[in-house]
Amino acid sequence: MTPEVLVVSGLSKRFGSGPGAVQANDAIDLSVSAGQVVCLLGHNGAGKSTLVGQVVGLTVPDAGTVLLGGIDAVAHPAAARALASVQAQANVPITGLTPRTAIELVGRVRGLRKPAARTRADELLQALDLITWADKPAEKVSGGVARLTAFAMAAIAPGALVVLDEPTNDVDPVRRWLLWQEIRRIADDGKGVLLVTHNIHEAEHVVDQVVLLDEGRVVTHGTPAQFVASHPGDTLEDVYIHLVGHQDARGSATAAAA
Amino acid sequence: MSAATASPAATLGTSVVRQLGLLIQWQFRRGAQMFPLLAVVQTLLAATTVFGYGLLVGDPPPDAALFLATGAATVNLIMVGLVLTPQGVAQAKTEGSLAWMRTLPVPRWTFLASDLVVYALVALPGSVLGLVVGTWRFGVTLSLSPWLALAAPLVAVIATAVGYSIALLLRPQLAMLVSQVIVFVVLLFSPISIPTQRLPQWLATAHEWLPIAPMADLMRASLVSDVFSMGTRPALVLAAWTVLALAGANRALSRRT
Repeated sequence: MTPEVLVVSGLSKRFGSGPGAVQANDAIDLSVSAGQVVCLLGHNGAGKSTLVGQVVGLTVPDAGTVLLGGIDAVAHPAAARALASVQAQANVPITGLTPRTAIELVGRVRGLRKPAARTRADELLQALDLITWADKPAEKVSGGVARLTAFAMAAIAPGALVVLDEPTNDVDPVRRWLLWQEIRRIADDGKGVLLVTHNIHEAEHVVDQVVLLDEGRVVTHGTPAQFVASHPGDTLEDVYIHLVGHQDARGSATAAAA
Repeated sequence: MSAATASPAATLGTSVVRQLGLLIQWQFRRGAQMFPLLAVVQTLLAATTVFGYGLLVGDPPPDAALFLATGAATVNLIMVGLVLTPQGVAQAKTEGSLAWMRTLPVPRWTFLASDLVVYALVALPGSVLGLVVGTWRFGVTLSLSPWLALAAPLVAVIATAVGYSIALLLRPQLAMLVSQVIVFVVLLFSPISIPTQRLPQWLATAHEWLPIAPMADLMRASLVSDVFSMGTRPALVLAAWTVLALAGANRALSRRT
C-alpha cells in the first residue's frame, strides 16, 4: 500500500466571533499519498488557503489533526516544515536576485549542497523553458516567469509533501504545459502533491484525486473519472460548475425567498 | 530527470549556521539595491545629529560635547533596529514574503539573526562616520574600551529584536506609524544626545525603564571609558530588555494565527 504523506482529520478553523464569524474549515478529512497529485477545488472563500495554512503550520486549527509524514504537524510545526515544500499563492518577491540564484538558495536552505542545488536548478530552468530568463534580474522578468520561479523554489528539493497554491497563474500556455509535466513528475518521483488551482480544465489530465470544498466543507471527492461518471457533464470543469453552481443557485434562491 | 530530494533527516541535519549564512545571503541580495541609499541616509542622519545639535548648543561644555559626539553613533544603531527593521518586516508581511519564508525549515530565530547582521552592516558606515565627525566637530577625544566590540552588537541586537516584535505584533500600517514616532522620540526626547536632567521629569522617569537610555549609557561607557561608566541599574534594565526583546521577537516569529 502506498504510504500516506498527509492525513487531515476533522480539521476545523473559525475566524472571528459572534455573528460576523467565518467558519473557514469545517471538519475536513482528506489524505495525500506518496505518488499522488490531490487537487483542492472550490470557489473563492471556500476555505482552500486556510486549509493549506494549517497543513504548512502557519495557522493553528481549532479542532482536528494534521499528520505530515506521520508527524503531528500542529504539535511539531518545525519538524513538519522540513517535510513540506510550499509555493505560496502570492508570488514571493525576489528583487535583487535572479531566478537561478533564488532557486539555488532555497534548494540549499532546504538541505542541498551547492553543486546539487546548481544542477537541479538548471534542470528545472530547462524543463520550464526559463533559461533565457534565468540570469536576468528579477525586476525584469514577467509575472509568469516569476510564478514559475516560485514553483521551482518549491520543487528544487521537494519534501515528502509539495503544496502548490495556484501554480499556473500568469503563466503562458506553452509553459503551463511544461509546468503540469513537472508537477506530475514530482508525484511520479514519490512525493505527494497538494494542488490548489482554478485551472480545472488543465489540471484534470494530471491529478489523481479531486477534493471539492464549499463553505469550508468537503462536498465530494474522488478521481476525475469518478467525478465525471457520477455527475452531469463531460469534463471535470463541467461537473465543478454543475456542483458549485447548484450550491450558488440554492443560496440565491434562499436569499430570494427570504 | 528526477527530483532532487532533501530528505527530512538531511534537512533537519543541515547545519543551522549554514542556513543562517544562506538567509543572510538572501536578505543581503534582496536589499542590495537599497543599501547604498540607506547608507547615505544613515550617514546624513549621523551628520545631522552632530551638526544640527551643534547649531543649537553652539560651543558646549566638555560633558555635553561628549554626549553629542557619541550620540550620533548610538542614534544610528538604535534607528536601524527600531525604525528600519519594523519597516522592512512590515513590508515583508504586506507583500506575503514573510509568510512564505516562515514555511522554510529553519529555526525562527535565524530570521531575526539574518536581518540583524544585514542591518548592522547597513548601520556601520553611518555609525563610524558619526563618531569621526562628532569627535572632530566638538574637539573631544575618545577612549575606546574593548567592551565596545560587545556593546555595539548588543545595542543593535536589542533594538532589532524590539523592532521585530513591533512589526510582528502590530498591523503593518500601525507598525510603520510607530516606527515614525520612534524617530522623533529617539532624536529629540531621549537621553542619547541630551543629558537626562534636561528632560521633563516624567520623561526622565520613563527613560529609567525604557531601553534607550541604558543603550546610550552602554555606548558612552564603551566609547569614552575614562569619563563615563555603566551604572548597575541601567545594566539591569538593559539585561531585562535583552531577555524581553529576544523572547518577544522569538515568540512573535513562532506565533501562528
